[in-house]
Amino acid sequence: MAVVNRSREIPPLRYVALGVFTVAASLFIIAPLAVVVLNSFNNVAYNVFPPEELSTRWYVNLFSQDVFYAAAGRSIVLAALSTGIALVIGIMAAYALVRYKLPAPDLIKASLLSPIVLPKIVLGVALFMFFVRIRMLDNYSSLLVTHVLVIAMVSASLANFDWTLQEAAMDLGAGPIRTFIRVILPQISLSVGISAVFAFITSFDQVETTIFMVRTGSNTLPVEMFLYLQKWQDPTIAALSTLLILFAIALVMLISLMLRGRRLPFLPQRPGEDTQ
Amino acid sequence: MTYAFAAPLITFFEYSFYRFRRGRLEQVFTLDTYSRFLFDSYYHVVIYDTLRMATIVTLLSLAIGYPLAYALYRINRPAIQRWLALLIFSPILVSVVVRSYGWIVLLSDQGPVNWLLLRFGVLAEPATLVFNLFGVVISLTHVFLPFVVFPIFSSLTRLDPALKEAAEDLGANWWTTFRRVTFPLSLPGVVAGAQIAFTLALGAFVTPAMLGGGRVLVLPLQVYNATTDINWPVAAVGGMALLVISMVAVAAFNRLLKYSEAR
Repeated sequence: MAVVNRSREIPPLRYVALGVFTVAASLFIIAPLAVVVLNSFNNVAYNVFPPEELSTRWYVNLFSQDVFYAAAGRSIVLAALSTGIALVIGIMAAYALVRYKLPAPDLIKASLLSPIVLPKIVLGVALFMFFVRIRMLDNYSSLLVTHVLVIAMVSASLANFDWTLQEAAMDLGAGPIRTFIRVILPQISLSVGISAVFAFITSFDQVETTIFMVRTGSNTLPVEMFLYLQKWQDPTIAALSTLLILFAIALVMLISLMLRGRRLPFLPQRPGEDTQ
Repeated sequence: MTYAFAAPLITFFEYSFYRFRRGRLEQVFTLDTYSRFLFDSYYHVVIYDTLRMATIVTLLSLAIGYPLAYALYRINRPAIQRWLALLIFSPILVSVVVRSYGWIVLLSDQGPVNWLLLRFGVLAEPATLVFNLFGVVISLTHVFLPFVVFPIFSSLTRLDPALKEAAEDLGANWWTTFRRVTFPLSLPGVVAGAQIAFTLALGAFVTPAMLGGGRVLVLPLQVYNATTDINWPVAAVGGMALLVISMVAVAAFNRLLKYSEAR
Protein backbone atom coordinates (compact mmCIF):
# COMPACT_ATOMS: atom_id res chain seq x y z
CA MET A 1 0.00 0.00 0.00
CA ALA A 2 1.48 3.32 -1.04
CA VAL A 3 -0.43 5.17 1.63
CA VAL A 4 1.62 5.83 4.72
CA ASN A 5 -0.68 5.07 7.57
CA ARG A 6 0.49 7.43 10.23
CA SER A 7 -1.98 6.28 12.86
CA ARG A 8 -0.61 2.77 12.76
CA GLU A 9 1.33 2.84 16.02
CA ILE A 10 -1.75 3.52 18.15
CA PRO A 11 -4.74 2.03 16.33
CA PRO A 12 -7.63 4.43 17.00
CA LEU A 13 -11.09 3.16 17.80
CA ARG A 14 -12.32 3.62 14.25
CA TYR A 15 -9.77 1.14 12.86
CA VAL A 16 -10.76 -1.40 15.49
CA ALA A 17 -14.40 -0.85 14.52
CA LEU A 18 -13.55 -1.26 10.85
CA GLY A 19 -11.64 -4.45 11.62
CA VAL A 20 -14.55 -5.88 13.61
CA PHE A 21 -16.90 -4.94 10.79
CA THR A 22 -14.66 -6.65 8.23
CA VAL A 23 -14.59 -9.85 10.26
CA ALA A 24 -18.40 -9.74 10.65
CA ALA A 25 -18.85 -9.12 6.91
CA SER A 26 -16.52 -12.03 6.13
CA LEU A 27 -18.65 -14.25 8.37
CA PHE A 28 -21.73 -13.00 6.51
CA ILE A 29 -20.08 -14.02 3.22
CA ILE A 30 -18.96 -17.45 4.44
CA ALA A 31 -21.92 -18.42 6.65
CA PRO A 32 -24.44 -19.62 4.02
CA LEU A 33 -21.78 -21.81 2.40
CA ALA A 34 -20.42 -23.17 5.68
CA VAL A 35 -23.90 -24.05 6.93
CA VAL A 36 -24.59 -26.02 3.75
CA VAL A 37 -21.51 -28.15 4.39
CA LEU A 38 -22.52 -28.67 8.02
CA ASN A 39 -26.10 -29.51 7.08
CA SER A 40 -24.99 -32.16 4.59
CA PHE A 41 -23.79 -34.26 7.57
CA ASN A 42 -27.02 -33.74 9.47
CA ASN A 43 -28.68 -37.05 10.31
CA VAL A 44 -32.30 -35.88 10.08
CA ALA A 45 -34.31 -34.78 7.06
CA TYR A 46 -35.17 -31.33 8.40
CA ASN A 47 -33.02 -28.29 9.13
CA VAL A 48 -31.97 -28.23 12.76
CA PHE A 49 -29.07 -26.47 14.43
CA PRO A 50 -26.92 -27.69 16.01
CA PRO A 51 -27.20 -31.12 14.31
CA GLU A 52 -28.18 -33.80 16.83
CA GLU A 53 -26.24 -36.55 15.13
CA LEU A 54 -23.82 -36.66 12.23
CA SER A 55 -24.07 -39.08 9.33
CA THR A 56 -23.19 -39.48 5.69
CA ARG A 57 -26.56 -40.89 4.67
CA TRP A 58 -27.36 -37.93 2.39
CA TYR A 59 -24.21 -38.58 0.39
CA VAL A 60 -25.26 -42.21 0.04
CA ASN A 61 -28.69 -41.02 -1.05
CA LEU A 62 -27.16 -38.54 -3.50
CA PHE A 63 -24.93 -41.12 -5.14
CA SER A 64 -27.89 -43.46 -5.63
CA GLN A 65 -29.84 -40.84 -7.57
CA ASP A 66 -29.16 -41.16 -11.26
CA VAL A 67 -30.92 -37.89 -12.16
CA PHE A 68 -28.17 -35.84 -10.57
CA TYR A 69 -25.38 -37.75 -12.34
CA ALA A 70 -27.08 -37.29 -15.69
CA ALA A 71 -27.84 -33.62 -15.01
CA ALA A 72 -24.25 -32.94 -13.90
CA GLY A 73 -22.92 -34.62 -17.04
CA ARG A 74 -25.23 -32.56 -19.24
CA SER A 75 -24.27 -29.33 -17.48
CA ILE A 76 -20.53 -29.99 -17.79
CA VAL A 77 -20.73 -30.86 -21.50
CA LEU A 78 -22.98 -27.88 -22.20
CA ALA A 79 -20.72 -25.50 -20.24
CA ALA A 80 -17.56 -26.77 -21.96
CA LEU A 81 -19.09 -26.49 -25.45
CA SER A 82 -20.62 -23.07 -24.94
CA THR A 83 -17.44 -21.76 -23.30
CA GLY A 84 -15.39 -22.91 -26.30
CA ILE A 85 -17.76 -21.32 -28.82
CA ALA A 86 -18.13 -18.10 -26.84
CA LEU A 87 -14.35 -17.75 -26.46
CA VAL A 88 -13.68 -18.20 -30.18
CA ILE A 89 -16.38 -15.67 -31.08
CA GLY A 90 -15.21 -13.31 -28.35
CA ILE A 91 -11.54 -13.41 -29.37
CA MET A 92 -12.43 -12.95 -33.03
CA ALA A 93 -14.74 -10.04 -32.27
CA ALA A 94 -12.23 -8.31 -30.02
CA TYR A 95 -9.44 -8.96 -32.56
CA ALA A 96 -11.51 -7.60 -35.43
CA LEU A 97 -12.35 -4.49 -33.45
CA VAL A 98 -8.66 -3.62 -33.06
CA ARG A 99 -7.03 -5.18 -36.09
CA TYR A 100 -9.35 -3.92 -38.77
CA LYS A 101 -10.20 -0.49 -37.39
CA LEU A 102 -13.85 -1.10 -38.21
CA PRO A 103 -15.97 1.94 -38.94
CA ALA A 104 -17.47 3.29 -35.72
CA PRO A 105 -16.03 0.65 -33.35
CA ASP A 106 -17.63 2.56 -30.52
CA LEU A 107 -21.02 1.71 -31.93
CA ILE A 108 -20.11 -1.97 -32.20
CA LYS A 109 -18.68 -1.96 -28.70
CA ALA A 110 -21.86 -0.29 -27.44
CA SER A 111 -24.05 -2.88 -29.10
CA LEU A 112 -21.88 -5.66 -27.69
CA LEU A 113 -22.32 -4.19 -24.24
CA SER A 114 -25.96 -3.20 -24.42
CA PRO A 115 -27.42 -6.61 -23.44
CA ILE A 116 -26.15 -5.99 -19.91
CA VAL A 117 -29.38 -4.12 -19.26
CA LEU A 118 -31.35 -7.14 -20.41
CA PRO A 119 -32.73 -9.11 -17.43
CA LYS A 120 -31.85 -12.78 -17.86
CA ILE A 121 -35.42 -13.96 -17.34
CA VAL A 122 -36.51 -11.72 -20.24
CA LEU A 123 -33.81 -13.20 -22.46
CA GLY A 124 -34.86 -16.69 -21.37
CA VAL A 125 -38.55 -16.23 -22.12
CA ALA A 126 -37.84 -14.37 -25.38
CA LEU A 127 -35.54 -17.14 -26.61
CA PHE A 128 -38.07 -19.77 -25.55
CA MET A 129 -40.83 -18.09 -27.58
CA PHE A 130 -38.45 -17.58 -30.49
CA PHE A 131 -37.37 -21.24 -30.56
CA VAL A 132 -40.99 -22.39 -30.33
CA ARG A 133 -41.84 -20.15 -33.26
CA ILE A 134 -39.04 -21.40 -35.50
CA ARG A 135 -39.68 -24.99 -34.27
CA MET A 136 -36.25 -25.55 -32.84
CA LEU A 137 -37.18 -26.04 -29.20
CA ASP A 138 -36.48 -29.74 -28.75
CA ASN A 139 -33.08 -29.28 -30.26
CA TYR A 140 -29.84 -29.38 -28.29
CA SER A 141 -28.55 -26.47 -30.36
CA SER A 142 -31.21 -24.16 -28.90
CA LEU A 143 -29.78 -24.80 -25.45
CA LEU A 144 -26.26 -24.24 -26.74
CA VAL A 145 -27.18 -20.98 -28.49
CA THR A 146 -28.84 -19.75 -25.29
CA HIS A 147 -25.77 -20.47 -23.20
CA VAL A 148 -23.40 -18.84 -25.69
CA LEU A 149 -25.60 -15.74 -25.70
CA VAL A 150 -25.69 -15.56 -21.92
CA ILE A 151 -21.91 -15.91 -21.73
CA ALA A 152 -21.53 -13.18 -24.34
CA MET A 153 -23.87 -10.96 -22.36
CA VAL A 154 -22.19 -11.49 -19.02
CA SER A 155 -18.60 -11.42 -20.19
CA ALA A 156 -18.92 -8.51 -22.64
CA SER A 157 -17.71 -6.17 -19.93
CA LEU A 158 -14.92 -8.50 -18.87
CA ALA A 159 -13.38 -8.97 -22.30
CA ASN A 160 -10.74 -6.30 -22.22
CA PHE A 161 -7.78 -7.65 -24.08
CA ASP A 162 -4.63 -5.66 -24.66
CA TRP A 163 -3.79 -5.72 -28.35
CA THR A 164 -1.03 -3.12 -28.60
CA LEU A 165 1.89 -5.54 -28.88
CA GLN A 166 0.52 -7.31 -31.93
CA GLU A 167 0.83 -4.17 -34.02
CA ALA A 168 4.50 -3.98 -33.12
CA ALA A 169 5.02 -7.61 -34.15
CA MET A 170 3.25 -7.06 -37.46
CA ASP A 171 5.34 -3.97 -38.07
CA LEU A 172 8.44 -6.08 -37.51
CA GLY A 173 7.36 -8.34 -40.36
CA ALA A 174 5.70 -11.29 -38.64
CA GLY A 175 2.83 -12.87 -40.55
CA PRO A 176 -0.67 -12.67 -39.11
CA ILE A 177 -0.90 -16.30 -37.97
CA ARG A 178 2.60 -16.30 -36.51
CA THR A 179 1.81 -13.02 -34.78
CA PHE A 180 -1.33 -14.52 -33.34
CA ILE A 181 0.36 -17.65 -31.98
CA ARG A 182 3.67 -16.19 -30.87
CA VAL A 183 2.67 -12.75 -29.64
CA ILE A 184 -1.05 -12.41 -29.08
CA LEU A 185 -1.88 -15.76 -27.55
CA PRO A 186 0.74 -15.53 -24.76
CA GLN A 187 -0.34 -11.93 -24.19
CA ILE A 188 -4.02 -12.64 -23.84
CA SER A 189 -3.72 -16.08 -22.28
CA LEU A 190 -4.39 -14.74 -18.78
CA SER A 191 -7.48 -12.81 -19.90
CA VAL A 192 -8.64 -15.77 -21.94
CA GLY A 193 -8.04 -18.17 -19.06
CA ILE A 194 -10.00 -16.05 -16.62
CA SER A 195 -12.74 -15.41 -19.20
CA ALA A 196 -12.98 -19.15 -19.74
CA VAL A 197 -13.43 -19.83 -16.03
CA PHE A 198 -16.13 -17.15 -15.88
CA ALA A 199 -17.85 -18.40 -19.01
CA PHE A 200 -17.91 -21.93 -17.63
CA ILE A 201 -19.32 -20.75 -14.29
CA THR A 202 -21.90 -18.56 -16.03
CA SER A 203 -23.12 -21.45 -18.15
CA PHE A 204 -23.05 -23.84 -15.20
CA ASP A 205 -25.22 -21.47 -13.15
CA GLN A 206 -28.04 -20.81 -15.62
CA VAL A 207 -31.54 -21.28 -14.23
CA GLU A 208 -33.79 -18.52 -15.53
CA THR A 209 -32.60 -18.71 -19.14
CA THR A 210 -32.61 -22.49 -19.35
CA ILE A 211 -35.60 -23.52 -17.27
CA PHE A 212 -38.10 -23.18 -20.13
CA MET A 213 -35.96 -25.08 -22.61
CA VAL A 214 -35.21 -28.23 -20.68
CA ARG A 215 -37.64 -31.09 -20.36
CA THR A 216 -38.27 -33.36 -17.40
CA GLY A 217 -35.62 -36.04 -17.57
CA SER A 218 -33.13 -33.87 -19.43
CA ASN A 219 -32.56 -31.06 -16.94
CA THR A 220 -29.28 -29.29 -16.36
CA LEU A 221 -27.87 -29.50 -12.84
CA PRO A 222 -28.93 -26.10 -11.42
CA VAL A 223 -32.43 -26.48 -12.87
CA GLU A 224 -32.67 -30.01 -11.44
CA MET A 225 -31.60 -28.70 -8.02
CA PHE A 226 -33.99 -25.76 -8.24
CA LEU A 227 -36.94 -28.01 -9.09
CA TYR A 228 -35.93 -30.60 -6.46
CA LEU A 229 -35.90 -27.88 -3.80
CA GLN A 230 -39.41 -26.81 -4.81
CA LYS A 231 -40.57 -30.28 -3.71
CA TRP A 232 -38.14 -31.45 -1.01
CA GLN A 233 -35.95 -29.76 1.54
CA ASP A 234 -33.86 -32.72 2.72
CA PRO A 235 -30.05 -32.44 2.95
CA THR A 236 -29.45 -34.40 -0.26
CA ILE A 237 -29.16 -30.98 -1.89
CA ALA A 238 -26.74 -29.98 0.88
CA ALA A 239 -24.53 -32.95 0.01
CA LEU A 240 -24.61 -32.03 -3.66
CA SER A 241 -23.99 -28.36 -2.82
CA THR A 242 -20.98 -29.36 -0.72
CA LEU A 243 -19.48 -31.07 -3.77
CA LEU A 244 -20.16 -27.94 -5.83
CA ILE A 245 -18.51 -25.77 -3.15
CA LEU A 246 -15.44 -28.05 -3.28
CA PHE A 247 -15.47 -27.57 -7.05
CA ALA A 248 -15.57 -23.78 -6.53
CA ILE A 249 -12.66 -23.97 -4.08
CA ALA A 250 -10.69 -25.89 -6.71
CA LEU A 251 -11.50 -23.08 -9.16
CA VAL A 252 -10.30 -20.44 -6.68
CA MET A 253 -7.03 -22.38 -6.39
CA LEU A 254 -6.80 -22.51 -10.18
CA ILE A 255 -7.38 -18.76 -10.47
CA SER A 256 -4.85 -17.89 -7.79
CA LEU A 257 -2.37 -20.20 -9.50
CA MET A 258 -3.00 -18.39 -12.78
CA LEU A 259 -2.55 -15.07 -11.04
CA ARG A 260 0.59 -16.02 -9.15
CA GLY A 261 3.06 -13.18 -9.34
CA ARG A 262 0.63 -11.04 -11.28
CA ARG A 263 -1.61 -8.22 -10.22
CA LEU A 264 -5.21 -9.24 -9.62
CA PRO A 265 -7.13 -8.11 -12.68
CA PHE A 266 -9.87 -6.51 -10.66
CA LEU A 267 -7.38 -4.62 -8.53
CA PRO A 268 -6.62 -1.65 -10.72
CA GLN A 269 -3.38 0.25 -11.01
CA ARG A 270 -2.61 2.83 -8.42
CA PRO A 271 -2.03 6.46 -9.28
CA GLY A 272 1.54 7.10 -10.31
CA GLU A 273 1.92 3.70 -11.91
CA ASP A 274 1.93 3.46 -15.66
CA THR A 275 -1.67 3.36 -16.83
CA GLN A 276 -2.23 1.80 -20.20
CA MET B 1 -24.28 -10.80 -32.43
CA THR B 2 -26.70 -7.93 -32.01
CA TYR B 3 -29.05 -9.73 -34.36
CA ALA B 4 -28.87 -12.83 -32.18
CA PHE B 5 -30.25 -10.78 -29.31
CA ALA B 6 -32.64 -8.73 -31.43
CA ALA B 7 -34.50 -11.58 -33.17
CA PRO B 8 -35.84 -13.23 -29.99
CA LEU B 9 -36.72 -9.84 -28.52
CA ILE B 10 -38.70 -8.90 -31.63
CA THR B 11 -40.64 -12.18 -31.37
CA PHE B 12 -41.19 -11.41 -27.71
CA PHE B 13 -42.45 -7.93 -28.57
CA GLU B 14 -44.78 -9.41 -31.18
CA TYR B 15 -46.37 -11.83 -28.70
CA SER B 16 -47.13 -8.96 -26.35
CA PHE B 17 -49.80 -7.78 -28.84
CA TYR B 18 -51.55 -11.13 -29.24
CA ARG B 19 -54.71 -12.15 -27.49
CA PHE B 20 -55.04 -14.86 -24.88
CA ARG B 21 -58.55 -16.16 -24.37
CA ARG B 22 -59.97 -19.26 -22.71
CA GLY B 23 -56.52 -20.76 -22.24
CA ARG B 24 -55.54 -20.31 -25.89
CA LEU B 25 -53.29 -17.96 -27.77
CA GLU B 26 -54.92 -16.19 -30.69
CA GLN B 27 -52.88 -14.29 -33.24
CA VAL B 28 -55.13 -11.24 -33.15
CA PHE B 29 -53.67 -7.79 -32.65
CA THR B 30 -54.77 -6.23 -29.40
CA LEU B 31 -53.53 -3.70 -26.87
CA ASP B 32 -55.68 -5.19 -24.12
CA THR B 33 -52.79 -6.84 -22.28
CA TYR B 34 -50.94 -3.53 -22.13
CA SER B 35 -53.93 -1.58 -20.93
CA ARG B 36 -54.68 -4.21 -18.30
CA PHE B 37 -51.07 -4.05 -17.18
CA LEU B 38 -51.15 -0.26 -16.95
CA PHE B 39 -54.46 0.11 -15.17
CA ASP B 40 -54.89 -3.01 -13.08
CA SER B 41 -53.90 -2.39 -9.47
CA TYR B 42 -52.57 -5.98 -9.19
CA TYR B 43 -49.73 -5.16 -11.58
CA HIS B 44 -49.14 -1.83 -9.85
CA VAL B 45 -48.47 -3.77 -6.65
CA VAL B 46 -46.12 -6.16 -8.49
CA ILE B 47 -44.12 -3.29 -9.99
CA TYR B 48 -44.06 -1.40 -6.70
CA ASP B 49 -42.83 -4.51 -4.84
CA THR B 50 -40.12 -5.13 -7.45
CA LEU B 51 -38.83 -1.56 -7.22
CA ARG B 52 -39.02 -1.57 -3.43
CA MET B 53 -37.11 -4.85 -3.16
CA ALA B 54 -34.42 -3.64 -5.60
CA THR B 55 -34.05 -0.36 -3.69
CA ILE B 56 -33.70 -2.03 -0.28
CA VAL B 57 -31.20 -4.56 -1.64
CA THR B 58 -29.14 -1.79 -3.27
CA LEU B 59 -29.04 0.31 -0.10
CA LEU B 60 -28.13 -2.67 2.10
CA SER B 61 -25.43 -3.79 -0.36
CA LEU B 62 -23.92 -0.30 -0.27
CA ALA B 63 -24.14 -0.14 3.52
CA ILE B 64 -22.17 -3.40 3.86
CA GLY B 65 -20.12 -3.00 0.69
CA TYR B 66 -18.68 0.46 1.28
CA PRO B 67 -17.00 -0.20 4.66
CA LEU B 68 -15.77 -3.53 3.32
CA ALA B 69 -14.28 -1.89 0.23
CA TYR B 70 -12.71 0.77 2.45
CA ALA B 71 -11.22 -1.89 4.74
CA LEU B 72 -9.85 -3.73 1.68
CA TYR B 73 -8.32 -0.45 0.53
CA ARG B 74 -6.73 0.39 3.88
CA ILE B 75 -5.23 -3.02 4.65
CA ASN B 76 -1.47 -2.56 4.58
CA ARG B 77 -0.40 -6.16 4.09
CA PRO B 78 -0.66 -7.33 0.46
CA ALA B 79 -1.15 -10.97 1.48
CA ILE B 80 -4.15 -10.22 3.72
CA GLN B 81 -5.54 -7.86 1.10
CA ARG B 82 -5.29 -10.59 -1.51
CA TRP B 83 -7.02 -13.17 0.66
CA LEU B 84 -9.80 -10.78 1.64
CA ALA B 85 -10.33 -9.89 -2.04
CA LEU B 86 -10.50 -13.59 -2.89
CA LEU B 87 -12.92 -14.21 0.00
CA ILE B 88 -15.25 -11.42 -1.13
CA PHE B 89 -15.07 -12.56 -4.72
CA SER B 90 -15.31 -16.33 -4.32
CA PRO B 91 -19.09 -16.69 -3.67
CA ILE B 92 -19.57 -15.70 -7.33
CA LEU B 93 -18.18 -19.12 -8.22
CA VAL B 94 -20.91 -20.95 -6.30
CA SER B 95 -24.30 -21.42 -7.95
CA VAL B 96 -27.07 -19.03 -6.92
CA VAL B 97 -29.22 -22.07 -6.15
CA VAL B 98 -26.64 -23.31 -3.62
CA ARG B 99 -26.27 -19.89 -1.99
CA SER B 100 -30.02 -19.36 -1.73
CA TYR B 101 -30.37 -22.84 -0.25
CA GLY B 102 -27.66 -21.91 2.29
CA TRP B 103 -29.74 -18.92 3.37
CA ILE B 104 -32.86 -21.08 3.73
CA VAL B 105 -30.95 -23.37 6.11
CA LEU B 106 -29.33 -20.45 7.93
CA LEU B 107 -32.54 -18.49 8.47
CA SER B 108 -34.99 -21.34 9.04
CA ASP B 109 -36.97 -21.60 12.29
CA GLN B 110 -34.52 -24.13 13.74
CA GLY B 111 -31.51 -22.72 11.91
CA PRO B 112 -28.28 -21.28 13.35
CA VAL B 113 -29.44 -17.63 13.36
CA ASN B 114 -32.59 -18.37 15.35
CA TRP B 115 -30.58 -20.70 17.60
CA LEU B 116 -28.15 -17.87 18.40
CA LEU B 117 -30.95 -15.35 18.95
CA LEU B 118 -32.76 -17.73 21.35
CA ARG B 119 -29.58 -18.81 23.08
CA PHE B 120 -28.61 -15.25 23.95
CA GLY B 121 -32.14 -14.37 24.93
CA VAL B 122 -32.68 -11.81 22.19
CA LEU B 123 -35.91 -13.56 21.30
CA ALA B 124 -38.33 -15.69 23.29
CA GLU B 125 -39.41 -17.76 20.29
CA PRO B 126 -38.01 -18.23 16.77
CA ALA B 127 -38.56 -15.36 14.35
CA THR B 128 -39.77 -15.97 10.80
CA LEU B 129 -36.70 -14.90 8.84
CA VAL B 130 -37.20 -16.78 5.62
CA PHE B 131 -40.00 -17.21 3.05
CA ASN B 132 -40.68 -13.49 3.26
CA LEU B 133 -39.16 -10.23 1.99
CA PHE B 134 -36.49 -10.24 4.72
CA GLY B 135 -35.01 -13.56 3.57
CA VAL B 136 -34.99 -12.48 -0.07
CA VAL B 137 -33.31 -9.15 0.73
CA ILE B 138 -30.57 -10.74 2.88
CA SER B 139 -29.85 -13.43 0.32
CA LEU B 140 -29.77 -11.03 -2.65
CA THR B 141 -27.46 -8.68 -0.73
CA HIS B 142 -25.11 -11.62 -0.20
CA VAL B 143 -25.22 -12.49 -3.90
CA PHE B 144 -24.56 -8.93 -5.11
CA LEU B 145 -21.96 -7.88 -2.51
CA PRO B 146 -18.89 -8.54 -4.71
CA PHE B 147 -20.41 -6.47 -7.53
CA VAL B 148 -20.66 -3.52 -5.13
CA VAL B 149 -17.34 -3.91 -3.30
CA PHE B 150 -15.01 -4.03 -6.31
CA PRO B 151 -16.21 -0.87 -8.14
CA ILE B 152 -15.97 1.10 -4.87
CA PHE B 153 -12.55 -0.39 -4.10
CA SER B 154 -11.34 0.45 -7.58
CA SER B 155 -12.41 4.10 -7.31
CA LEU B 156 -10.75 4.32 -3.86
CA THR B 157 -7.43 3.08 -5.25
CA ARG B 158 -7.57 5.70 -8.00
CA LEU B 159 -7.63 8.36 -5.31
CA ASP B 160 -4.49 10.48 -5.07
CA PRO B 161 -3.08 10.03 -1.53
CA ALA B 162 -1.63 13.55 -1.70
CA LEU B 163 -5.15 15.01 -1.52
CA LYS B 164 -5.77 13.28 1.76
CA GLU B 165 -2.46 14.34 3.21
CA ALA B 166 -3.14 17.90 2.11
CA ALA B 167 -6.48 17.82 3.91
CA GLU B 168 -4.83 16.48 7.06
CA ASP B 169 -2.03 19.02 6.86
CA LEU B 170 -4.65 21.74 6.66
CA GLY B 171 -5.98 20.53 9.99
CA ALA B 172 -8.96 18.46 8.94
CA ASN B 173 -9.69 15.52 11.25
CA TRP B 174 -10.29 12.02 9.83
CA TRP B 175 -14.06 12.43 9.65
CA THR B 176 -13.88 15.74 7.79
CA THR B 177 -11.23 14.31 5.47
CA PHE B 178 -13.42 11.31 4.74
CA ARG B 179 -16.59 13.33 4.32
CA ARG B 180 -15.14 16.14 2.21
CA VAL B 181 -12.36 14.37 0.27
CA THR B 182 -12.41 10.57 0.23
CA PHE B 183 -16.14 9.93 0.02
CA PRO B 184 -17.00 12.44 -2.75
CA LEU B 185 -14.09 11.14 -4.85
CA SER B 186 -15.24 7.54 -4.43
CA LEU B 187 -18.79 8.35 -5.56
CA PRO B 188 -18.31 7.05 -9.13
CA GLY B 189 -17.58 3.62 -7.67
CA VAL B 190 -20.61 3.84 -5.39
CA VAL B 191 -22.87 4.76 -8.32
CA ALA B 192 -21.39 2.01 -10.53
CA GLY B 193 -21.89 -0.57 -7.77
CA ALA B 194 -25.42 0.65 -7.09
CA GLN B 195 -26.22 0.40 -10.80
CA ILE B 196 -25.14 -3.23 -10.97
CA ALA B 197 -26.91 -4.19 -7.73
CA PHE B 198 -30.14 -2.42 -8.69
CA THR B 199 -30.41 -3.84 -12.22
CA LEU B 200 -29.47 -7.35 -11.09
CA ALA B 201 -32.01 -7.15 -8.25
CA LEU B 202 -34.73 -6.06 -10.71
CA GLY B 203 -34.15 -9.19 -12.79
CA ALA B 204 -33.53 -11.62 -9.92
CA PHE B 205 -35.59 -14.77 -10.25
CA VAL B 206 -34.00 -17.74 -8.42
CA THR B 207 -33.66 -16.12 -4.99
CA PRO B 208 -37.19 -14.61 -4.80
CA ALA B 209 -38.59 -17.91 -6.08
CA MET B 210 -36.72 -19.95 -3.45
CA LEU B 211 -36.81 -17.63 -0.43
CA GLY B 212 -39.95 -15.64 -1.12
CA GLY B 213 -42.28 -18.48 -0.15
CA GLY B 214 -44.86 -17.11 -2.58
CA ARG B 215 -45.11 -13.89 -0.61
CA VAL B 216 -42.63 -11.89 -2.65
CA LEU B 217 -44.28 -11.62 -6.07
CA VAL B 218 -41.81 -9.62 -8.13
CA LEU B 219 -41.95 -8.99 -11.87
CA PRO B 220 -39.55 -11.81 -12.93
CA LEU B 221 -41.66 -14.32 -10.96
CA GLN B 222 -44.81 -12.97 -12.57
CA VAL B 223 -43.21 -13.39 -16.02
CA TYR B 224 -42.20 -16.95 -15.13
CA ASN B 225 -45.66 -17.87 -13.84
CA ALA B 226 -47.38 -16.41 -16.90
CA THR B 227 -45.03 -18.34 -19.20
CA THR B 228 -45.70 -21.66 -17.46
CA ASP B 229 -49.44 -20.92 -17.59
CA ILE B 230 -48.91 -20.52 -21.37
CA ASN B 231 -50.29 -17.00 -21.10
CA TRP B 232 -47.57 -15.63 -23.35
CA PRO B 233 -49.03 -12.16 -23.96
CA VAL B 234 -49.02 -11.43 -20.22
CA ALA B 235 -45.49 -12.87 -19.91
CA ALA B 236 -44.34 -10.73 -22.84
CA VAL B 237 -45.91 -7.54 -21.50
CA GLY B 238 -44.42 -8.20 -18.05
CA GLY B 239 -41.04 -8.81 -19.64
CA MET B 240 -41.29 -5.62 -21.69
CA ALA B 241 -42.13 -3.71 -18.51
CA LEU B 242 -39.09 -5.23 -16.79
CA LEU B 243 -36.89 -4.35 -19.76
CA VAL B 244 -38.15 -0.76 -19.86
CA ILE B 245 -37.68 -0.35 -16.10
CA SER B 246 -34.11 -1.63 -16.23
CA MET B 247 -33.29 0.54 -19.25
CA VAL B 248 -34.60 3.61 -17.42
CA ALA B 249 -32.63 2.58 -14.32
CA VAL B 250 -29.41 2.11 -16.30
CA ALA B 251 -29.88 5.46 -18.04
CA ALA B 252 -30.58 7.20 -14.73
CA PHE B 253 -27.50 5.65 -13.11
CA ASN B 254 -25.37 6.64 -16.13
CA ARG B 255 -26.57 10.19 -15.70
CA LEU B 256 -25.72 10.01 -12.01
CA LEU B 257 -22.31 8.56 -12.87
CA LYS B 258 -21.48 11.51 -15.14
CA TYR B 259 -22.61 13.88 -12.42
CA SER B 260 -20.53 12.12 -9.75
CA GLU B 261 -17.43 12.10 -11.96
CA ALA B 262 -17.74 15.81 -12.71
CA ARG B 263 -17.21 16.76 -9.10
